[in-house]
Amino acid sequence: MGKTVAQGGRQTLKQAFGRHKDAWIATVILVPMFFFWLLVSGFPTMFGFVLGFFQWVGLADTPKFIWFDNFISFFNNPVYTDALWRSIWLGGLVTVITLGAGFGAALLMNMPLFGKGFYRSIWYIPAVTATVATTQVFNIFLDSNNGVINNILKSMGKDPIVWQYSVGWGIFWIVVYSVWKGVGGAALIWLAGLQSVDLTLYEAAEIDGAGRWDKLRYVTMPGLKPIATYIVITNLIAAIQIYEQVLFITNGGPYGQTEVLVFRIYRDGFWDFNLGMAGASSLIMALIIITVTVMYYNWSTKSDRRTTIPIKPIKPIAKGGSGHGRSTKREV
Amino acid sequence: MAEALSVRFKKQLKPVHLLGHIILLGVGLILLYPLIFMIFAGFFTKTEFTSTVLGILPIPKAPTLENFKALIVGSTDAAVATYFKNSLIRTSYNTVWAILTSFLAGYVFARLHFKGRDTLFLILLATQMIPGTLAIIPTYLEFARFPFAGGNDIFTGGTGILNSWWVYLLGGPSINIMGTFLVKQSLEKVPLEIDEAATVDGAGTFRLIFQILFPLQLPIMAFIAITTALGTWNDFITPFFYTTSDHLQTLPAAITRLSSVGASPGAVINYPLIITLSLGITVPALLIFAFFQKYIVQGLANTGIKG
Repeated sequence: MGKTVAQGGRQTLKQAFGRHKDAWIATVILVPMFFFWLLVSGFPTMFGFVLGFFQWVGLADTPKFIWFDNFISFFNNPVYTDALWRSIWLGGLVTVITLGAGFGAALLMNMPLFGKGFYRSIWYIPAVTATVATTQVFNIFLDSNNGVINNILKSMGKDPIVWQYSVGWGIFWIVVYSVWKGVGGAALIWLAGLQSVDLTLYEAAEIDGAGRWDKLRYVTMPGLKPIATYIVITNLIAAIQIYEQVLFITNGGPYGQTEVLVFRIYRDGFWDFNLGMAGASSLIMALIIITVTVMYYNWSTKSDRRTTIPIKPIKPIAKGGSGHGRSTKREV
Repeated sequence: MAEALSVRFKKQLKPVHLLGHIILLGVGLILLYPLIFMIFAGFFTKTEFTSTVLGILPIPKAPTLENFKALIVGSTDAAVATYFKNSLIRTSYNTVWAILTSFLAGYVFARLHFKGRDTLFLILLATQMIPGTLAIIPTYLEFARFPFAGGNDIFTGGTGILNSWWVYLLGGPSINIMGTFLVKQSLEKVPLEIDEAATVDGAGTFRLIFQILFPLQLPIMAFIAITTALGTWNDFITPFFYTTSDHLQTLPAAITRLSSVGASPGAVINYPLIITLSLGITVPALLIFAFFQKYIVQGLANTGIKG
């Protein structure tokens, strides 16, 4: 195209631009964004795929390529395998409790209750707070000297508990915090799912003599299948990567027995500067998550035409915006 | 009308509904409890907080507004006002860029026609599958070994762009993939006739984008803006791990440094100051939520939460 510009006069330049106008505008918009994306996300991600194959301890170190040695030590060292296993079962536990409680709440919020918008809001509020800030309130509750819970225990004449010395309590409070933070969001998505179930099906079931429980079992549950898979997968992926609450509530203690894999990555990377090992752990974590996601996409495209990421809006976005008119796909 | 209303109220008295009210309100209050505690604790003076035996609800004998004032005008024992200002700058910067990039990129993928558009978009979506965890350490290394910056000869020798404003500045203009996806999806529902009519009336591409199409996308843009703003506002990772200077810290990073994570082992943790900073994070977030919750709820219902 440059040649045309050079050969012709003004007219050809204009024509050349006009013919490729869309491509030009797209280039002007996308190229700078792509450059910044490459800088802060693209390049580091590619780097992440190979970092695990290097021995790299300390920032000033010269990295040495050591093939799979980091991965071999990962699977031979109980510190890492335990952390991986803990990530998986802790993530599973948090997902099950959050989604279970969220589903119950969504069923209640779906009833024609007075003030349900208010309930929806207060249940969702924990999700908008900063983990850094709210875990500190939990720490005040759990403080061994002047902690709220211990003060209450003392006033009831019971012995105070030193939560920080116990693995079980550490895990317990991590789970409590995670559920506290996640249950409102889960309830909102479940609620959107419940409201997307075809109402006429309920009427039909009622005519057939179905009770409240039957309707839930035979109409609601099957109708919720796509959104259920979606919410389980997204929550599981997020919960496997939980680490902020671990960092702030137990800091991995006592003796590293509440460490999860992502916490381990931070510890290796930013405290011990064992960058190669941190890279190996992140790659293992990433591969697990990518596998789960790919399996989910295969499942959702194979199953019936309802896409599981609700690409079709469940409810129109707003009155003013869109939702009317025909498709804009024009034939090219 | 009045009859309909009384019917509605009577309906609320059915046992199932009554149970629903009790559970939703009861558990809801339990969920709010940590925040209520935080707000009450914010009215304590430092000495009173440490000397009080904390009960379920701490009620100060001499309530003070000092802590809230410290957020705005600063306080003697920490650069609280600086943290607040940094948080504010970083959040506004990222939010403005998120709105701009996701709208423009969404426009490109929804409206323009060029070779390889759909493939490019698919690649973009596919990169979303890779968890951010993978890039944390590499980003750190990239920043530390940024060529010719911060005393680096080419790659080594200095600290790169770590501990500088560049850490905050680079991320914003990057493409926001989730936002792009949402805008594309929503723009495709706007009839093409609108574009055509605007062009016939003499609007150029620029005017078409910003004066005609952008106002139609306000709800989705609000959702993108709010999620970005809350995400940046609450984020401690970037400021905590990539910067160390006091004048670069944001509120969450400052809390991290004061908490058991950043404090030296065995040190007494300054909870009153932590509470002050926590209020500085939480109250604005709650206000944003209170004003824009309509968009958050709709956005969540439309997309599901990412991550």
